[in-house]
Amino acid sequence: MNLTRDRVRSIGWAFVLTVCAGLLLGLTFRVNAVKSQVRLAERQLVSLRQEKLFLETEFEARSNQQQLKALNDVEFGYQAPRAEQYIEGERQLVALGKPRAPGAPEPIRVAAATEGDEQGAFPTMVSPLTGKAVAAEIPQGGPRKQVDSAHLSQRLARINLGEVATE
Amino acid sequence: MTAISVSTTITTRRSPLVNVRQRSLLVAKWRVLWVLTMFAVIAVCALLRIGYIGVVQPAPHSQSMAEALTPERADIVDRNGVPLARAFNAYSLWYNPDALGSGTPLVAPPERVAAALAEIFPDMDVADMTERLKSGRPGYLRRRILPEDANRIHMLGEPALEFPRETERFYPQGSMAAHVLGFVSADGHGRVGMEEVFDARLTDPASRAKPAVLSIDARVQGALEDELGRGMAESNAKGAAGIVLDVRTGEVMALASLPAFDPNLIDKDSTPNIFNRVTNQVYELGSTFKPLTVAAALDAGTITDIGRRYPSGQPLAIGGFRIRDSHKMGSSLNVAEALIHSSNIVTAQIADELGGQRLKATMSALGMDKRPYIELPARGFPIWRSGEWPRITTMTVSYGHGIAVTPLHLASAYAAMVNGGVWRPATLEKIEPGKVPTGRRVFKASTSARMRQLLRMIVVYGTGRKADAPGFRVGGKTGSAEKPGAGGYRHSSLISTFAAAFPMDNPRYVVVSMLDEPQGTAATSYQRTAAWNAAPVVARVVPRIGPLLGVMPDETRDVDISDLAPLIPGANGGHE
Repeated sequence: MNLTRDRVRSIGWAFVLTVCAGLLLGLTFRVNAVKSQVRLAERQLVSLRQEKLFLETEFEARSNQQQLKALNDVEFGYQAPRAEQYIEGERQLVALGKPRAPGAPEPIRVAAATEGDEQGAFPTMVSPLTGKAVAAEIPQGGPRKQVDSAHLSQRLARINLGEVATE
Repeated sequence: MTAISVSTTITTRRSPLVNVRQRSLLVAKWRVLWVLTMFAVIAVCALLRIGYIGVVQPAPHSQSMAEALTPERADIVDRNGVPLARAFNAYSLWYNPDALGSGTPLVAPPERVAAALAEIFPDMDVADMTERLKSGRPGYLRRRILPEDANRIHMLGEPALEFPRETERFYPQGSMAAHVLGFVSADGHGRVGMEEVFDARLTDPASRAKPAVLSIDARVQGALEDELGRGMAESNAKGAAGIVLDVRTGEVMALASLPAFDPNLIDKDSTPNIFNRVTNQVYELGSTFKPLTVAAALDAGTITDIGRRYPSGQPLAIGGFRIRDSHKMGSSLNVAEALIHSSNIVTAQIADELGGQRLKATMSALGMDKRPYIELPARGFPIWRSGEWPRITTMTVSYGHGIAVTPLHLASAYAAMVNGGVWRPATLEKIEPGKVPTGRRVFKASTSARMRQLLRMIVVYGTGRKADAPGFRVGGKTGSAEKPGAGGYRHSSLISTFAAAFPMDNPRYVVVSMLDEPQGTAATSYQRTAAWNAAPVVARVVPRIGPLLGVMPDETRDVDISDLAPLIPGANGGHE
């Protein structure tokens, strides 16, 4: 077979053309694939939006004014706040923190724990075996003072400068 | 020999073989040609078909995302965007007896299917359902079923039970604001309320992506319906109506007519309740007209002195008709006292001085001679005496008899009376700031200021005491009118109304509550008049809606009534 220059050139052209056509075909397939992916995503979006609308509507229906009213009547019994429960402006808000003027009415007191029966924030953890406080049982770096609730709050409240310096 | 024989054999058999070969070649060629022609014809047909489909037939239905998300009918929302009516893809249960082709439509016996359906929907009538399944007629078995119910029906494995998704109109708030919204009938068009008014807009593809915004506030509407319902139950009334109106813009914040109906379920029982008492029914609203008469007289200058005393000891005889008061109020009353005690005799005298022409002009300027101004299709025409008013008509109209208007007329008139004197049409569409209608001036600003004082005094000292919500500075007037019946007024059936505005030092909202035929019950201290049933409704509604509408209660503020307080005995020159 004699390959003249012309022949090689035309074969080359044909090859290039084939490769281009192949690439074009591939690209077309790719574009169509992406397009259908977009369509699929759009369809998903639509169905999700519709589902959202559906759930939103269900929520609206279940929490409608009449339902809430019925729930309030049975469970809570909330009423519209009275006039004295409103604070109008900063002036009234500031007046709340002011000391009582002479002859002013007794302020409303709220319930609070008294100082006498203070038990501390945490109950002491006691070992079931020894009956001692857990913290006292495992001495860490020498003997430690027994921890109990009375001391705990005090200890938490102060910073031991010596300990801080050694660490 | 052999060569010869061979040659002879060849020569002798050659010519027929050639012939056979040529013939079979020809046949083969023809066959190929036929096959080719056939393929060509098929190809041409296919091409023609493709061309036909491409050119003539419509393209397959493909929706863009925006199209798919646009509802078939636009939503209706309240002024804060709370959905009141929604296009909603709901499942419905459809019976398709042809789903299995020929033979029996159901796999299991109809009785068992009906029992299984009744398990899913406990309110279903099994016998009726069995009949319908046996009949073999296609039809809806149920509309609007929940997705989980649809799943359970699917589990029954009956192909004849289909559950197509259909766009339906759904009202999440149930019967709330039903008269404002209306409903959508089976033909897809709105009925009764704003569904009918907005029908073209809601279905127009260009505008249906955006919801229609109403002036209603769902929370206020809920509170009004709730309290009206309570008032109706306490007084054993036949019906109730209420409205909350913005006095500065004419926007309707809430409009309720009880008993209500559920737009999700329109049936025979609910149909009578579709009638709207606020805009469609006209009533003689009684004493609530007295402040309007006094305002007209103040405006015309026939009352120059609130302290002027009018005789009130004797019934007023006029043309064979006697105007009486409900109880003795003393031999004479001034204008403030007349309003506080609601004296027909004094109001009639004030109207007589004013004259029929001027009273009629004022009432006409307040829109009492036309159907109420509102978008709703159902609007009642007032009972209005045309021509020149005789003296007796002038007198009776002054205290709300001989004229019948809707509660909405009254609310609009009260709004004009307290807002500085400008009447504006009521509207159910939200008004953007700066687009408030100009309205028309009916009263002078000074008259309006005086009326605010007088209305507040009625609540502080008079018949409206039970409407006083502490801190909200409510002012208003009671009205208890006997209903007209065959052969005169019926003493046993009343229309009791309370028309109020708050806060009186700077009026923002008008509240009208009306009860139809209230009875005396233990809850209303065995009284039937407005002071005992309609006024407490206002006292309970106002604290609930005031803060929602931006009116905070404040017991340190009030409209200044110190100049009028000395006219009231026992008021100690100022109010508490």
